[in-house]
Amino acid sequence: MESQELKEKVSAKKFVQELAKGIILTNPVFVLVLGLCPTLAVTTSVNNALGMGAGVIFVLLGSNLIISIIRKVTPVMVRIPVFIVVIASFVTILSLVFEAYIPPLYESLGIYLPLIVVNCIILGRAEVFASKNPIIYSIADGLGAGLGFTLSLIIISFLREVLGTGSLVIFGKHLFSIPVLSSSPLSVFIMPPGAFIIIALLMAFFRLIGVLKNE
Amino acid sequence: MNSLLTIFLSLVLINNFILSKFLGLCPFFGVSKKLSNAISMGAAVTLVMLLASIATGIIYNYILIPYKIQFMNIIIYILVIAALVQIVEIVIKRTNILLYNALGIYLPLITTNCAVLGITLINAQNNYSLLQSIVSALGGGLGFTLMLIIMSAIRERNELADTPKSMKGLPIAFIIAALLSLAFMGFNGLL
Amino acid sequence: MAQKESKNLLNKILKNKFYPVIFLALIVFIAVVLLMYVNNITRVRIIQQREAKIVSQLKNIFPDMEKYELKDDIYIILKNNQTIGYSFIAKGKGYGGEINTLVGINKDFTIKEIVVLSNSETPGLGTRITLSSFTDQFKGLKPADVVLSKEGGKVDAITGATISSRAVTESVKKELDKNIEIIKKNNY
Repeated sequence: MESQELKEKVSAKKFVQELAKGIILTNPVFVLVLGLCPTLAVTTSVNNALGMGAGVIFVLLGSNLIISIIRKVTPVMVRIPVFIVVIASFVTILSLVFEAYIPPLYESLGIYLPLIVVNCIILGRAEVFASKNPIIYSIADGLGAGLGFTLSLIIISFLREVLGTGSLVIFGKHLFSIPVLSSSPLSVFIMPPGAFIIIALLMAFFRLIGVLKNE
Repeated sequence: MNSLLTIFLSLVLINNFILSKFLGLCPFFGVSKKLSNAISMGAAVTLVMLLASIATGIIYNYILIPYKIQFMNIIIYILVIAALVQIVEIVIKRTNILLYNALGIYLPLITTNCAVLGITLINAQNNYSLLQSIVSALGGGLGFTLMLIIMSAIRERNELADTPKSMKGLPIAFIIAALLSLAFMGFNGLL
Repeated sequence: MAQKESKNLLNKILKNKFYPVIFLALIVFIAVVLLMYVNNITRVRIIQQREAKIVSQLKNIFPDMEKYELKDDIYIILKNNQTIGYSFIAKGKGYGGEINTLVGINKDFTIKEIVVLSNSETPGLGTRITLSSFTDQFKGLKPADVVLSKEGGKVDAITGATISSRAVTESVKKELDKNIEIIKKNNY
């Protein structure tokens, strides 16, 4: 009786641990530097960032779950193709659902929506964690990495949208405008060079305040 | 507007895969420190892009559209790419072991390179014919390789410069990319 | 005893040399079935969305529209089964990429209105082609007038965005001339 309680206590703590690590310690974008392609392309507005983040969380949860479930019967030799098929299926489902129910988001994400399939974060978590760990922790791991990814997207897109357009619009609702900035915004931040600049400065900033290690 | 030269040039200069579409970034920042690696990597990726565009172009035009199963394109494309990378890997291993070792882990990683899946998706999105797909793959690959070469040349020199500690490595590489991207925006009015 | 037997059976299957291929095939099969199912559920909705988008775009220009027909890439706008106008999309090469403009014309082939659908122009400069201050100029123009004013026509280019303005103007004129021919020839 006592050992079972102890086991359950440990597992709750571990769940939160796996969850938290994906958000800060091994943040996919700033620490592991994975999934750069969609990050820079999609962060032109917070709206798009949220949409992409939600999509990635969905695919991460789904693929981590399935891959963890079948981990004991998956032959090592074909595991990568199996992972790819599972991930691609979830991405296709996501794409169809977005196209059917949220067309504006589907259109603004463009090719970066199907490109979630090759987002190294998802394949990485599958190979490194979900294929070797129990279901409940795989869910936590997927959720953590997804939230960490979404958080990074939100930070970057917030900066890009506010600096690049002077205002913030989410789900069609105009949230606020900065007076001087909105009449002559720094449009470079909305364009490709700006994306590179913002992520460079954020990385340097995180290193300065000690959250990230220097090279 | 759909002339082959336009497609080719626009992908190399205006809609450059790395500087403008953000496709193929992982190897861009990982491999680009040595010039020789950059050329090999660029060539390998371009080859895979070309083969993938041909294979997926055929599948898209002759299987997906006639049978109205376009939604299966994601899963079919990525499996085709994975298979192609495997084949290319085996061929390189057998013919040029030095190249194989130089590319290392980045060779199988071409499967998850956004540039490869990206070009096949772009071809589908623009409804390119097989010939147009080939040209766009060449353009995209050349643009990618060009960037890799330029970036590695700059980074080799930058190693000797006095960079602030927090900017060393990736951040300064991003700034270099930003400057390149800004410069290349000048090509926008070309076509 | 039964448990041990089934465990042995499971191990036998897992160690079979054909198992990896069969497993992969099984996964692919399940994935395909699942995707076909999801596609079936969403297909109707997706078609509706695409249709709704076209209708809302056309209604922007022709609020009285009841239905439309599509022939030779030209939308024939109908009300009370009478043709009240035509519409088509003009594609032009802008500064940053392709510019798509929806053109609506009256039965006498003068322009009713144009709407810039999509573009990748410079924010704040070229993107001004989407504003009514630019597109309103096209209202009521005859095909011959659809030229930039500095070249003898009636369309004033946006200062600092000549390329974007020209792209819209030239593509509209080209589509206009082409489609008027088609309409006349086929008596649409």
